[in-house]
Amino acid sequence: MKKSKIATAVATLALSAIVLSGCSAGGSDGAVTLDFWSWAPNTQELVDVWNEENPDIQVRYTDAGGGKDSSAKLLTASRAGNAPDIAAVEYPTLPSLIVADVPLEITDYVSDVTANYADGTLALTTFDGHVMGLPQDVGPMALIYRSDLLAEWGIPVPTTWDEFRTAAAAVREANPDAYIASLPADQWAFYAGVATQAGAEWWSVEDGTWTVGIADEASLEVADFFEGLVADDLISTEPILTPEWNAKANRGEYISWPSALWAPGVIEGVAPETIGNWSMSPFPQWTAGDTGVANQGGSSVIVTKDSEHPEQAAEFVKWLNASDAGAELLINVQNAYPATTAGQESAINNAPPSLMPDQADYYSLAATIASNTIPVTWGPNVNVAESAFTDELQRAIANGTPWRDAFIAVQKTVVDDMTDVGFDITNK
Amino acid sequence: MTATPATTAATRPRSEATPARTEASRPRKRPRSRTRFAPYMFVGPAVVLFVLFMLLPIIYAAYISFTTYKLESGGIFGTQVQVFAGFKNYIAVFQDQALLTGFGNLALYSIIAVPLTLGLALLFALLLDTPGVRATRFAQTAIFIPYAVPGVIAALLWGFMYLPSTSPFSYITEALGWGTIPFLEQSGIYGSIGNIAIWGGVGFNMIIIYTSLRSIPAEIYEAASLDGANEAQIAWRIKVPLVVPALILTGIFSVIGALQLYSEPTTLKPMTDVISQTWVPLMTIYRNAFLTDDLPGAAALSVVLALGTVALSALVLWLSGRRNKGAQS
Repeated sequence: MKKSKIATAVATLALSAIVLSGCSAGGSDGAVTLDFWSWAPNTQELVDVWNEENPDIQVRYTDAGGGKDSSAKLLTASRAGNAPDIAAVEYPTLPSLIVADVPLEITDYVSDVTANYADGTLALTTFDGHVMGLPQDVGPMALIYRSDLLAEWGIPVPTTWDEFRTAAAAVREANPDAYIASLPADQWAFYAGVATQAGAEWWSVEDGTWTVGIADEASLEVADFFEGLVADDLISTEPILTPEWNAKANRGEYISWPSALWAPGVIEGVAPETIGNWSMSPFPQWTAGDTGVANQGGSSVIVTKDSEHPEQAAEFVKWLNASDAGAELLINVQNAYPATTAGQESAINNAPPSLMPDQADYYSLAATIASNTIPVTWGPNVNVAESAFTDELQRAIANGTPWRDAFIAVQKTVVDDMTDVGFDITNK
Repeated sequence: MTATPATTAATRPRSEATPARTEASRPRKRPRSRTRFAPYMFVGPAVVLFVLFMLLPIIYAAYISFTTYKLESGGIFGTQVQVFAGFKNYIAVFQDQALLTGFGNLALYSIIAVPLTLGLALLFALLLDTPGVRATRFAQTAIFIPYAVPGVIAALLWGFMYLPSTSPFSYITEALGWGTIPFLEQSGIYGSIGNIAIWGGVGFNMIIIYTSLRSIPAEIYEAASLDGANEAQIAWRIKVPLVVPALILTGIFSVIGALQLYSEPTTLKPMTDVISQTWVPLMTIYRNAFLTDDLPGAAALSVVLALGTVALSALVLWLSGRRNKGAQS
């Protein structure tokens, strides 16, 4: 018995030694190893290219799950003091991570590449002059639609939201089973985007004092408009990208998806029977002739405060996001729409997405759309807002109560939360 | 778990010898040092694991539940720090309207799922225990297999069978001209989620009740049939009263299981717009902890839910104890 106990103790010690050494696996002969969390497809391939070229700065990639899971994980790891060196972060989440003291300011490390971005794009990761991360890809909003069906039914592609309403009614008439689109309550980013287009500022900050505008006049009018579409049965509020939605998309019962430039890849995956029947056009506008759109999706890459090698980490972040070589890989390997101006210009020569092979001007149109994105300030509790928005709007749709009341309730939840945490707010 | 004290006495005449045995089995003298340490060494590993992985996390959760994040100056927008908050999070738990709705949903679900799970489990156990029934092994396995399917996979599987476009049931009703079945709408959601739990839970509970049934001495059935009882009467008058302890046990398991409802509604959530993020209390805990960055709030709600579960189990045990006592006197 005594012998086996000693054996157990030895085994335990050996095991913990392995575990411990695993944690502190630095490189030998001066090389550093950096941990990198992301979720974008094929990121490992990009990391492999870097590792090949940079034997002294080795990057170890972990797929940390989608944007939301990843930031929750990042926050927890950071509070425990063992965050990865580098992490991908969605734009709306970045302020909440800054408040939680997760990212490291990299202004001085990246000053040589900031000119590679359009001002509006760099603004996504720059706060009060402090650069907290580098934009990787962007998702300017765009309309993708079934060009074959709209042509067959003689419905013009909507360029304004009023035309969208007319087109929605025409679609219902042409095929009673079909809707122009489904815009359910969990599409918070869509509704935030169209409110931005209408001139709403859901958050703004000046001298450390915040203003929350989720229930400002522009937002409430947006609420009224889409409530009207639902009330008249012109759009559906069924959850999207479910087996149900996918089946209907395949059957041609959803005619469009107002979303962003990343949408073609998604549709190709879920509605393969419709490949070749789609096109992309600029997003509908509230006022005819306007060109501004919001971003929906896209992510940035940060260096964390826990990193022991911030300089090397920043080198990798710059290569991945702001260099021409990185942009090339982002477009071709990751199928993302790059954030840098040069990357967007080099994309013009690419073939259009396979969902819409006939649309030769896809990427030049994309570059035009991207050059007109409206800068948005995200608040420190976007997560609270998104969660409240989805539940409130879901309830409003289910009970048939006014959407503007849901927006007002979200405004109150967000303001209460910010007040509770201790932010200064102008419109309590 | 086998039977009530009355039957033990009846079937084991040896019990008269018990007083004498106590005298005989008085412990012999042993070297003291060995007896003193041996028990501790045996329980040691379990205690260490319990302390490390149960007690410490519980204490830590309780600690977190009394803290909150507050903004301090510094950084671009200020920086959040963890500070002591007193009972703030607990007050918030009891004032949360959405949580109340969550408990309401849970109650509706439990009213459907718990009695049906137990009722079906008892029915199947009794049927399997009827003399002359064939293929019991096969039937037992067939009923038990759904329990081996993980909850998330079960929910996905049923989710596909609920969605109008992929549902075989809706396919049939639509072919008959009755339209689709509203599995994932407000009217059907409780039944739909209850059904998944029943489908997965019947087998496990059936095994417990069936095992309990098998341990009833055959003499009792012989006596009953000599007295002229038929199988249905034996089942209702003899078997059911004798497996009451097993029913209580499965009842407690089912109630605790119902309180922990999470994976089914979470998995179905993307498929329907009637399940909110706070549809049941555990979903609220998840949202607070991982979506809205309110770990202290999640911890407070966890503590409340855990205490509530313990209280509820204690209540059920106490009630059943009283009932047993009443039956004996």
